[in-house]
Amino acid sequence: MLNRLHAYLIFLALTPALADTTVGGRQLPADAASYAKQVLRVPCDNTRNEVTFDHAVSVYQRYGCVQDLFSDTLVDLDSLYRPEPAAAESWSVADDGVTWAFHLRPGQLWSDGTPLTAHDYMATFRLCASPDHAWDFAWFYSFIGEGGLRNWDRIVAGEMPPDSLGVTAIDDLTLQLVTEGPFPAMPAAMKFGYTLQKRALEEHGPYYNNDPATSVSSGPFVLTEFDPGYRIVLTANPDYTGYRPPLLQRIEGVYMSPATYFLAFQRGEIDLVGHEQLTPADFATIEEDPTLQANYLRHYGDFRTDYLLFDTFSPPFDKLAVRRAFAHAVDREAIVAGVYGKAKAVAAHSMLMPGFPSADTTGALADLQRFDCGLARQYLADAGYPEGDGFPALEMWMRGEPPATAAVYQASAASIAQCLGVQIQVSNKDGRVFMDALNARPTRLQMGAVSYGMDFLDAANLLGVWMSGGRHSWSDSTFDHLVTSAAAMIGQAEVRDRMFRQAERILVDQVGGVFIAHRWAGDLMKPHLLGDSFRQPDAKGIAGRRWGDDSLWGDMYIGDRQ
Amino acid sequence: MLLFLCRRLFSLAFVLLGVSILVFWLMHSVPGGPFDTQQGQLTAATRANLEAKYGLDEPVWKQYLNYMSHALRFDFGIPYQQPQTTVAALIGRTWLVTLQVGLLTIVVAFSIGICAGLYAAYHQNSWLDHLVTFCATLGVTVPNFVIGMWLILCFSVARSWLPLGGWGTSGACLFGKYFCTDWILPVVAYALAPMAIIARYTRASIVDVAGEDFIRTARAKGLSEVALMRRHVLPNAQIPMVTALGTEIPNLITGSIFIETIFRINGLGKYFVTSALNRDYPMIMATFLLIALLWGVTYMLTDVAYTVLDPRIQFGRRSRR
Repeated sequence: MLNRLHAYLIFLALTPALADTTVGGRQLPADAASYAKQVLRVPCDNTRNEVTFDHAVSVYQRYGCVQDLFSDTLVDLDSLYRPEPAAAESWSVADDGVTWAFHLRPGQLWSDGTPLTAHDYMATFRLCASPDHAWDFAWFYSFIGEGGLRNWDRIVAGEMPPDSLGVTAIDDLTLQLVTEGPFPAMPAAMKFGYTLQKRALEEHGPYYNNDPATSVSSGPFVLTEFDPGYRIVLTANPDYTGYRPPLLQRIEGVYMSPATYFLAFQRGEIDLVGHEQLTPADFATIEEDPTLQANYLRHYGDFRTDYLLFDTFSPPFDKLAVRRAFAHAVDREAIVAGVYGKAKAVAAHSMLMPGFPSADTTGALADLQRFDCGLARQYLADAGYPEGDGFPALEMWMRGEPPATAAVYQASAASIAQCLGVQIQVSNKDGRVFMDALNARPTRLQMGAVSYGMDFLDAANLLGVWMSGGRHSWSDSTFDHLVTSAAAMIGQAEVRDRMFRQAERILVDQVGGVFIAHRWAGDLMKPHLLGDSFRQPDAKGIAGRRWGDDSLWGDMYIGDRQ
Repeated sequence: MLLFLCRRLFSLAFVLLGVSILVFWLMHSVPGGPFDTQQGQLTAATRANLEAKYGLDEPVWKQYLNYMSHALRFDFGIPYQQPQTTVAALIGRTWLVTLQVGLLTIVVAFSIGICAGLYAAYHQNSWLDHLVTFCATLGVTVPNFVIGMWLILCFSVARSWLPLGGWGTSGACLFGKYFCTDWILPVVAYALAPMAIIARYTRASIVDVAGEDFIRTARAKGLSEVALMRRHVLPNAQIPMVTALGTEIPNLITGSIFIETIFRINGLGKYFVTSALNRDYPMIMATFLLIALLWGVTYMLTDVAYTVLDPRIQFGRRSRR
């Protein structure tokens, strides 16, 4: 009887303390709800065909609502998009500039109790390169530096076996990656360095995480329930020893149509909605409601830019004056305010969105493509087409754009047509048809409208797409030289940055493209969803979920004000 | 009857063969392929690997023979959009739910539709007839996803009376799992259009028969209206009703992408659309064969129903002039 009483008293004494402590032993913040209430409810899109939780299985068919939580990436990005340790505690590059060593944090475990090792990462990289796996993100490792990851392309093409890949586990805690050419942005690219467990992969194949019985995690959460099309439940991994131990006890994914996300949010069934699922009517509701407005957290997303592109090797766009006329004829501010809405975009005058490394934040490039209809007409007259007389009728293609984006491009074409007196017919083509025409050499696309977002956080990525021989029919040898040299430059950050800025100035001045808008991303969150990583604004006043910052999952919690 | 059924099943097999050839030829004759999506940005090597993995690098005739040889053993392949499962497993899992939704919808739509049609026919040009006609027109003309959203706004958002969606997953269930509150909105939204069609067909059939001479004669002989309806009108109106209404059944039991996505039902309906959009050849083939089979069986059962409803009609007898 005494023992029972003691046990009861001890339980009573411990209950308040336990209520504030996570399964990993972390103390919840003072304004947090009890641990039992640390449940995040997220919407999962029931219109998408999704097949996996894991980056290494498929990038474009991952469960969008709860992805990549069963392993830690090698490198994470901090709030300023700088590489920071994640599963790897440090990294180094050899003097040859192509051999990288990533040193894993010791003591990391899988949820089955086995240690996480470099062999897991090596097996994952080999799976990704394997022709049988036919990974949909294989292009990425061809793209890093000149020639990509060593032997990657030949393995993907089936010309070499996967074990000849330039990825080796030197020991349990050291992973070596070798590229064909220097690639200074390798640490940032290892933002995509997620892993599968080698043993589970061999025993159950790449989809082992789709079944709670075979799922194994080295990430902050484990899969406890999965009813495809209805519900996903993840719970905090008690064995997690990584860099982002969660404050949340559970994440519940509820499948629903994106058309009903906002309704479910209003009804209190989910805690957040991404900007892509919010309609103009939803944004109008948000703008009218101070609480909703304060909890719509705008962020950069993937630094996406909308722009017009031309075949600059053929008339009439082979004349710089014509391209400049078009660049000055787009009333970006009006289009952003009237079509996109200020919550969703900002006027663009260059490729790199302010906030992206090496982007123009001084406004120095804005003058080169600012809206000035008088100047635009002058340029067109200089090119031999006064008031648009004699200018050929144009057809501008779009790449299977949804209505909201198509409206922006149509407004851009209308702005040009109205200002310059030229005829532009806009046509929204199937994506494949558009890309075939764009990539044909010589290109079959006289004028097009498209957007591009980053793949990794380096100017080499977003400026690299403008290099000669790439997707755009525009060429400038100085630009090529600057981008190529800067992309391969290691250890001279300032010089590199300056070279990228020079290159972008050439791109804007020579009108490789006419830049229209930089898109904002954002999330509408419940007021009780807290965490400094997304609630605290950065130096530029931008809060919200930042691309590449996976540490958010160690910071997010449910506040006690429901 | 047995001979008739055997003959119809035999001809159904040829129909399925014809459908399989036609669909296979059509889906391969459209330019492009299943891995041409812009989103994936697949490299040429990756695309070639995928095509080899799924046998798409073979000539089309060989692909067809491969497919059919497996299909005859009920192996319908791996869906490109869900490669972690098989077509048979995916259809087995999702169609079960769609069937439940469809059968409940049939019960609701047919029972209310027939009653409303009967009532409207019996009270021609009354305000109730006009109301039924108005509701029927509304049911046919307003898309079910609009009705669905409106129902959600009224009953889930403005008044939290019913769940936003789910199928036995998010609402309260009574009698075990025999009735769940999250069934109500999808079934109502899905049933409105067929209910309207059924009401209109029923009304038209009854009005047609009720105007016949033999009905007038029966009425003149003093038969009560109830007896008239039961003995003469309904039996004679049933054949056109069965012809028109039977065709609603395959549509309802193969699901609706709009109803399923809006009401969070993981059914087969969406795959009819996404398979075509994603050029998912194995799923396209399987869903088309399923539809062809259901239509074939429906027509066969309709023919059987004719003989039950009208003894003058006999199986397989050619008409004599």
